[in-house]
Amino acid sequence: MKRYVYINDDNLAQDLYCDNRISNRKYTIWNFLPKNLWEQFSRFMNQYFLLIACLQLWSLITPVNPASTWGPLIFIFAVSAIKEAWDDYNRYLSDKKANEKEVWIVRQGIRKLIQAQDVRVGNIVWLRENDEVPCDLVLLGTADPQGICYVETAALDGETDLKTRVIPSACMGIDIELLHKIKGVIECPGPDKDIRRLDANMRLFPPFLDNDMFPLTIKNTLLQSCYLRNTEWACGVAVYTGNETKLGMCRGVPEPKLTAVDAMIDKLTGAIFVFQIVVVIVLGIAGNVWKDTEARKLWYVRYPKQGPWYELLIIPLRFELLCSIMIPISIKVSLDLVKGLYAKFIDWDDHMVDLETKTRSNAANTAISEDLGQVEYILTDKTGTLTENKMIFKRCCISGRFYGNENGDALTDTELLNAVSSGSADVIRFLKVMAICNTVIPVRSKSGAISYKAQSQDEEALVRAAARLHMVLANKNGNILEINLNASLLQYEVLDILEFTSERKRMSVVVKDCQSGKIFLLSKGADEAILPHSHAGQEIRTYAETVEQYAQLGLRTLCLAWRELDDDEYQEWALMFKDANSTLIDREWRVAEACQRLEHDLEILGVAAIEDRLQDGVPETIATLRKAGINFWMLTGDKQNTAIQIALSCNFVSPEPKGQLLMVDGKTEDEVCRSLERVLLTMRITNTEPKDVAFVVDGWALEIALKHYRKAFTELAILSRTAICCRVTPSQKAQLVELLKTCDYRTLAIGDGGNDVRMIQQADIGVGISGREGLQAARAADYSIGKFRFLKRLILVHGRYSYNRTAFLSQYSFYKSLLICFIQIFFSFISGVSGTSLFNSVSLMAYNVFYTSVPVLVSVLDKDLSERTVMQHPQILFYCQAGRLLNPSTFAGWFGRSLFHAIVVFAITIHSYALEKSEMEEVSMVALSGCIWLQAFVVALETNSFTVLQHLAIWGNLVGFYAINWIVSAIPSSGMYTIMFRLCKQPLYWITMILIVAAGMGPVLALKYFRYTYRSSKINILQQAERLGGPILSLGNIESQTRTLEKDLSPLSISLPKNRNSSVYEPLLTESPNSTRRSLGAGAPFDFFQSQSRLSTNYSRNCKDN
Amino acid sequence: MSSGDAALQSSSSKASKKPTYSRFTQQELPACKPILTPELIMAAFIFLGITFIPIGLSHLSASDHVVELIDRYDEDCIPVDNSNSEAAYNKRIGYIQDVKTDKTCTRTLIVPKKMKHPIFVYYQLDDFYQNHRRYVKSRNDEQYRNPAADHKTAHCEPESMNNDNQPIVPCGLIAWSLFNDTYSFSVNGNSLPINKKGIAWESDKTHKFGSKVYPKNFQSRSLIGGAKLNESIPLNQQEDLLVWMRTAALPNFRKLYGRIETDLEANEMIKVVINNNYNTYTFKGKKKLVISTTTWIGGKNDFLGKVYITVGGICLFIAVAFISVYLIRPRPLGDPAYLSWNLDPASN
Repeated sequence: MKRYVYINDDNLAQDLYCDNRISNRKYTIWNFLPKNLWEQFSRFMNQYFLLIACLQLWSLITPVNPASTWGPLIFIFAVSAIKEAWDDYNRYLSDKKANEKEVWIVRQGIRKLIQAQDVRVGNIVWLRENDEVPCDLVLLGTADPQGICYVETAALDGETDLKTRVIPSACMGIDIELLHKIKGVIECPGPDKDIRRLDANMRLFPPFLDNDMFPLTIKNTLLQSCYLRNTEWACGVAVYTGNETKLGMCRGVPEPKLTAVDAMIDKLTGAIFVFQIVVVIVLGIAGNVWKDTEARKLWYVRYPKQGPWYELLIIPLRFELLCSIMIPISIKVSLDLVKGLYAKFIDWDDHMVDLETKTRSNAANTAISEDLGQVEYILTDKTGTLTENKMIFKRCCISGRFYGNENGDALTDTELLNAVSSGSADVIRFLKVMAICNTVIPVRSKSGAISYKAQSQDEEALVRAAARLHMVLANKNGNILEINLNASLLQYEVLDILEFTSERKRMSVVVKDCQSGKIFLLSKGADEAILPHSHAGQEIRTYAETVEQYAQLGLRTLCLAWRELDDDEYQEWALMFKDANSTLIDREWRVAEACQRLEHDLEILGVAAIEDRLQDGVPETIATLRKAGINFWMLTGDKQNTAIQIALSCNFVSPEPKGQLLMVDGKTEDEVCRSLERVLLTMRITNTEPKDVAFVVDGWALEIALKHYRKAFTELAILSRTAICCRVTPSQKAQLVELLKTCDYRTLAIGDGGNDVRMIQQADIGVGISGREGLQAARAADYSIGKFRFLKRLILVHGRYSYNRTAFLSQYSFYKSLLICFIQIFFSFISGVSGTSLFNSVSLMAYNVFYTSVPVLVSVLDKDLSERTVMQHPQILFYCQAGRLLNPSTFAGWFGRSLFHAIVVFAITIHSYALEKSEMEEVSMVALSGCIWLQAFVVALETNSFTVLQHLAIWGNLVGFYAINWIVSAIPSSGMYTIMFRLCKQPLYWITMILIVAAGMGPVLALKYFRYTYRSSKINILQQAERLGGPILSLGNIESQTRTLEKDLSPLSISLPKNRNSSVYEPLLTESPNSTRRSLGAGAPFDFFQSQSRLSTNYSRNCKDN
Repeated sequence: MSSGDAALQSSSSKASKKPTYSRFTQQELPACKPILTPELIMAAFIFLGITFIPIGLSHLSASDHVVELIDRYDEDCIPVDNSNSEAAYNKRIGYIQDVKTDKTCTRTLIVPKKMKHPIFVYYQLDDFYQNHRRYVKSRNDEQYRNPAADHKTAHCEPESMNNDNQPIVPCGLIAWSLFNDTYSFSVNGNSLPINKKGIAWESDKTHKFGSKVYPKNFQSRSLIGGAKLNESIPLNQQEDLLVWMRTAALPNFRKLYGRIETDLEANEMIKVVINNNYNTYTFKGKKKLVISTTTWIGGKNDFLGKVYITVGGICLFIAVAFISVYLIRPRPLGDPAYLSWNLDPASN
């Protein structure tokens, strides 16, 4: 859908497009309640609770006062709704602020001040320096005579450098007065979200210019939310407004992510639901049978002879309501609360502050902290993530001469300095290309010092290096570029810029030497994008070798080239280029084609090598995390050799002979297929060897592999702990994440640049490094951290604790709900299976909301192991990764515990409060107190570290229980009037409580102690080691091993196959991975895992891989 | 060590000087981290064992001091044989539902030991489901408390209104089925007075039941459940009703009938004249008369004492077991050798 924007036309097209009112709001006042409720009730759990609450309104079947369910339900919904409303209100406020901002526009040829929301498409908007752009504008004029202005686009893409924007050539030279009266039409596509592209045309109406079409690109626009900088004023015509701007279209609600823990909790909830249905059906049938055989004889119950038609349903429904507490309504609130706190702990963490930039870590997504502890694959970007993205020009090779090879820094290489001062032609040309062939903007500060604003770190490094070598890019004034060379001033006119795209992998500029009038094409780019275009007869082999050699050192290489152009050739080409630039369809491709026509027969000048230093602590972080059983994949757009070098230097892969790199390459399907099979075969064989095998794949082969050999590649992905994917595009990065996700692995993607955004959004957890490539990645990510090394702490400390805490909290929530529900079920056996509730409404409601939820909430402070210990023994993360703390079998443990405790409480209560003491309210309160006492001790037993808050919550809660009940017992109209006072005066009550605690906790304690001491998990051993204060193990030993991976990566004994020993030296080629896996599955040590999630099997498989 | 970790350490030393709120945000609150050492566990179990057994013993002895006389009379106070046959069952029902028959029944009890006053007289019903859902809910406390709330008979179905659509006070099945056997005692020919005052909870008399609420239309329908109430006595003085209305949570329960305020000597013969009116025959429930003294634990109940001794014994046993395992197979805590990643794979 094209749109035609008539510039400065007050009558036309006014109402065709929306106004400039920005609205980020989800709700309005009127639709808030229905919409919010609809959203909340689209979740199964909430539907379930609503159904239960509705059933309770039927007094015939409700065991308790409906308020006991409606109260918490309304509370929970109100909390969610208020949170939503508050967020929406804040959005409304910020919208309002933006909408009511005053801007200057032109109406009837006069400048007027109006509110931003009243700007319409076609209006001319005037901006002054440091103004925010209110909508998407096409530039018409600026204060700069060359028609240039500078914008900061940080809010849009996070890049903090200044970008230049130019007015369309059609508007060049229009006087400021005339700009008020300018008329014309802009033909542009419908609103889209591509902030890097605008394919539009402009035609001005007479008398301004002839009827010629002028192309518009993104360079001619000012997009909403950018700021005008270093420019006195600028004006432009609004083309997209309101929510139809590029920024508005980019906005979107990302898919909510569900953690593995949440999925498991949902699964367990489902299981409990099924269990509940079974109980209801069984008890319902039993109840009906008992009613017909026995209850009809109970004359005092007076069952009517003829019941209503739904009579058979009454008892099952009563049990449904009685058992509805099995699924704790409080779990959602508790989890939301603690998850919010986990995220806050990440935000607050002083150890994850980047001291250089003073940026804190930030958890944008508060819901997925547990997943951090279950990460199995980390997919990392290279540049800016592992490296600092602080480019420094280190070496170069100019016409076959190497500089910087001896001392590692070309800038201090005397040979090069001499060559510069002696004016060696090759060197000077090389430096000129370095200084000119770029889009860097020199900014002269008041003191006269020049600083450079660049979009590309590489370019900045080159320009800086050139400046150090006395080729100073001094000024860029419109198209005129000034260079200081040894105090002489050179001027060039930039005629065209052939921009860099990731497909072309090179950029060129066409410049005219102002002195000689000669026209040159200066190019720089990746070797494979430049060397093939060299003129025939040039010896490019040396350059190719140089590139290879530099790449081996982990340096980024750029080839620099130039060509002198004929005037005719250039003129002819320039027309074509302009034509290509003004097409609306496939412009990018046509432009690339046009560029191709000029970039040939280049004279290669040399190779520049730029170092991108590794960030601090990267090798250690990777080593630690790999010890923790996490697999690393490196996905980079860089070339293979550089990637491998970086991988080697940061512990990603081990050097030969321990490590082995397997290449998957090829240009055709067949080649890729063969190479893939070869690699797979090797991988299967080495599977059993303690070798560090990694595969390397490039973008081209990956494309083919993903398209045609997905299955084989998936198998390779599963088998390999490490992979290096180079030359991959952003969408391939996302595809790889997707691939691993389909194999059911928990993936974490970490990156820093715009090209990582898709991968970050795709992964289970996206981590953005708020680095030098802007904030785009950090914005899209769930977590943003300042440095790669914080990942260690994020996963091992925050992720692990979060997982442990949630595992406890969720299972405990089920435990306490089941406990009270089992008691109700037992009671129904002695109350004629009639569905009587033992507990009164107040107790039932308070049990879930107060008595049991407070102590467990402080488990967010629990630490099973100290942070130090975890860092020293990252292998312990295995327990989280494999889901060892929350899975059906641990849940079965809690289920059994609640059943046992219910039996203890119920049996002791009904026997000690029997016969003359069997008054209903008293028995109910004794049973309830028993539950409260037990749960206090259960929380205490399961707590690993007691802080003041824990003591306060656990024991304070117990006191609170009595306080609440005393208060309720003092209210004459309550059913519990005087009950609690009566009980507390009876020695029997206290004796019963002590007995319940001892009988309930004794076996649990004994079992726990036995397992703790004689069947101890690794966590237990470390706890013991840590707390007995002994020398914490072979610390030094382990520290020194950080780089030697073999020993540390040896699998945990539990997952260690018995046949490992023998299989290590077995002849190769005999075992396929399938048979290996099967034999593992049957092995005795693995039986324990069988019932658990397949994570564990995967893990052990991976363990084995090393 | 990388410089990053150095920075980590320096900032952590900084953090330790920070105030508490920051310790909270850094998750560095000082914490006590107990672990289950063998010493602790053994001490705990031994302690439990040696405290529980004496408590159990004292409880048992207290229970033993209670003198309790139980007499099941439902079978013997009816002139029908004890057979389970249908005919006998029907006969029993016919007998108990016949209003004209004199259902007086005389029982003789022998006091086994000296019983000191106060002696409590209970009636015990077995297999009587006062906790049945239809039954337990069939009451309206508002009506019982408030003289102006006669008409409030919600939940009382099917005993809410009489045939003339007048509200029944007290309404509901519980009140309707009020126990109506009566006992009169005599020792050696002298009648033994039963104090029926103060058998209900004081709170029920003052708050739960109104002093100005009088029974109305009670048991006025054709189907008569249990006892009738004197319409001139307010509900809060009808202590039998109050006791009955405190529903029992268990199907076997005792309710206080009255108190004997004199001591009973051992081997004394008590003659009890029972008006056997209450129908437990349809549902084959039992009726018992219980005369019992109390101690600090209340009536006779061996359960807690036995369980205490059992739990104590088991605790001691567990302690001994753990100690012997500890001695036979000592296992040092926190031995890094048990960390599998420290194990040499070859030795596995």
